[in-house]
Amino acid sequence: MLTLERVTKRFGGLTAVRDVSLDVRRGDLLGIIGPNGAGKTTLFNVIGGYYRPDGGRVVFDGRDVGGRPPHVICRLGLTRTFQLVKPFGNLSVVDNVMIGALTRLRRVSAARLEAERVVETCGLAPHAHARARALPIGLRKRLEVARALATRPRLLLLDEVMAGLTPSELTGIIELIRLLHADGLTLIVIEHVMAAMMRLAQRLVVLHHGEAIAEGTPAQVARDRRVIDAYLGDEFVLAQA
Amino acid sequence: MASLPPRRWAALALLGVAALLPLVVRDAFVLDSLILILMWGALSAAWNVAGGYAGQVSLGHAAFFGIGAYSAALMTARFHQSPWLGLLLGVVLSIAAGGVIGYLSNRLRGPYFALSTIAFSQVLLIVASRWRGFTAGSEGIPVPFRPGLWTLGLGHVAWVYVALVVALVYYGVQVWLETSRIGYQLAGVREDEDAAEALGIASRRLKIRAVTLSAAMTAVGGTFWAQYVGFVDPFYVFSIDLSIRFALNTIIGGMGTALGPFLGSILITSLETYLRATFSGLKTGFAGIYLVIYGTALILVVRFAPEGLTGVAGRLGAWRARADA
Repeated sequence: MLTLERVTKRFGGLTAVRDVSLDVRRGDLLGIIGPNGAGKTTLFNVIGGYYRPDGGRVVFDGRDVGGRPPHVICRLGLTRTFQLVKPFGNLSVVDNVMIGALTRLRRVSAARLEAERVVETCGLAPHAHARARALPIGLRKRLEVARALATRPRLLLLDEVMAGLTPSELTGIIELIRLLHADGLTLIVIEHVMAAMMRLAQRLVVLHHGEAIAEGTPAQVARDRRVIDAYLGDEFVLAQA
Repeated sequence: MASLPPRRWAALALLGVAALLPLVVRDAFVLDSLILILMWGALSAAWNVAGGYAGQVSLGHAAFFGIGAYSAALMTARFHQSPWLGLLLGVVLSIAAGGVIGYLSNRLRGPYFALSTIAFSQVLLIVASRWRGFTAGSEGIPVPFRPGLWTLGLGHVAWVYVALVVALVYYGVQVWLETSRIGYQLAGVREDEDAAEALGIASRRLKIRAVTLSAAMTAVGGTFWAQYVGFVDPFYVFSIDLSIRFALNTIIGGMGTALGPFLGSILITSLETYLRATFSGLKTGFAGIYLVIYGTALILVVRFAPEGLTGVAGRLGAWRARADA
């Protein structure tokens, strides 16, 4: 569904993403992990059309989408969320989601119905008419997911939707992601909450200094020597054991 | 109809009063004030399309106003054609100019965009005031008065209805921007452009469209204003004062609301005409006092009602609803 071939992104002398290749198949739930500054968000920005890759190809459904503007990529069926959430602050929750729904639906009334349904699915129904900026961070992360879902993506990119959440919020959002995946949605999830990813993802890619240093099931990755040295540390392995 | 929100009723009531007023009042001063309130209100509504709904705060909208004013004035004074053809020309030219400004809005943000719009209107001012052979330069152009609707040589009462139709149409455009698909998408772009893009909205094209629509609406207003007043002075029609007036009416009334620009215009225009009429006879330095009042009104709004008059009305409404409950 999505194939990255040796994708590279440089900023001046700094190579934020170097030769990253990966393959996402329909129905996958892929996790991308790595320490801060590893290039995770940069990679999403390249896939989502915010940055033009300096090298390599981004192929979505057989089409090279590298460097296409974000709205085109979204309309092709690939929607991303933002790590630093970007709600339409002065609008209500349901209006936020409706703006997403209007990408596929031309009628405002139909989009409103769709938005109400998505708001319900994402557990935001009690806050549907609150202003987005009045929501606490946990709900704003949910809104970010809801709005993206309303565009009816076939591939959804979630950028650290779990970071900074309380344990109960975390459990809630993991349930939501599982639900969406069970419904047939393909997802790529960026996270550095390692424990959550071990529970959630089918497959993990580990980024370090812009390079993919390991790929495999969570269990395989957790045993990988390079991953332990670069990211997890021996303590993590002991704690898991 | 029963489901119409209170603010729409308020707008309809205001327009109704404006429509009925010429039937009972024949005083030229009152009718003149009414025409100006409606015209400045409509022009502020045009500004609101870019500044309020699209979030592109321009301080150069006088450029489009001047294009509309000059198109009609030159069409009638130089080519002896109908001002309606001038209106059409003004719309075409302002769409081109609006495209330029819209393009700038994709390159520059916030204050840099506002500054570039000022520069744009100043360039047009220089062209209009120096191109003596064609525009009569800084002397300005008197617009010939030929009675009739086709020549827009109308009496006060007829002008009230022309201004009223323009105001009603512009109000309608704003309501459309609040309730339509494109309006919601524009709100998304205004709130957060990156997020709007991520949701499949072609933000750049949408902003250019909004600014262009706003420009064309402003040019139409400029045409009617020039035909009504009968004289086009480059230092007035391209002035920063004028650009600020559009912005100020809207900010005081409520940005991004359909009623706001008209409320702002009612307050500011009537205050200004009243103060001018009261103080202009005095020899002392009172002639400019309306500017002081202008500034004071702006400070008060920014301090106590940053969302404008419509925001205050909304809060009062919510407070009363709570009190009733």
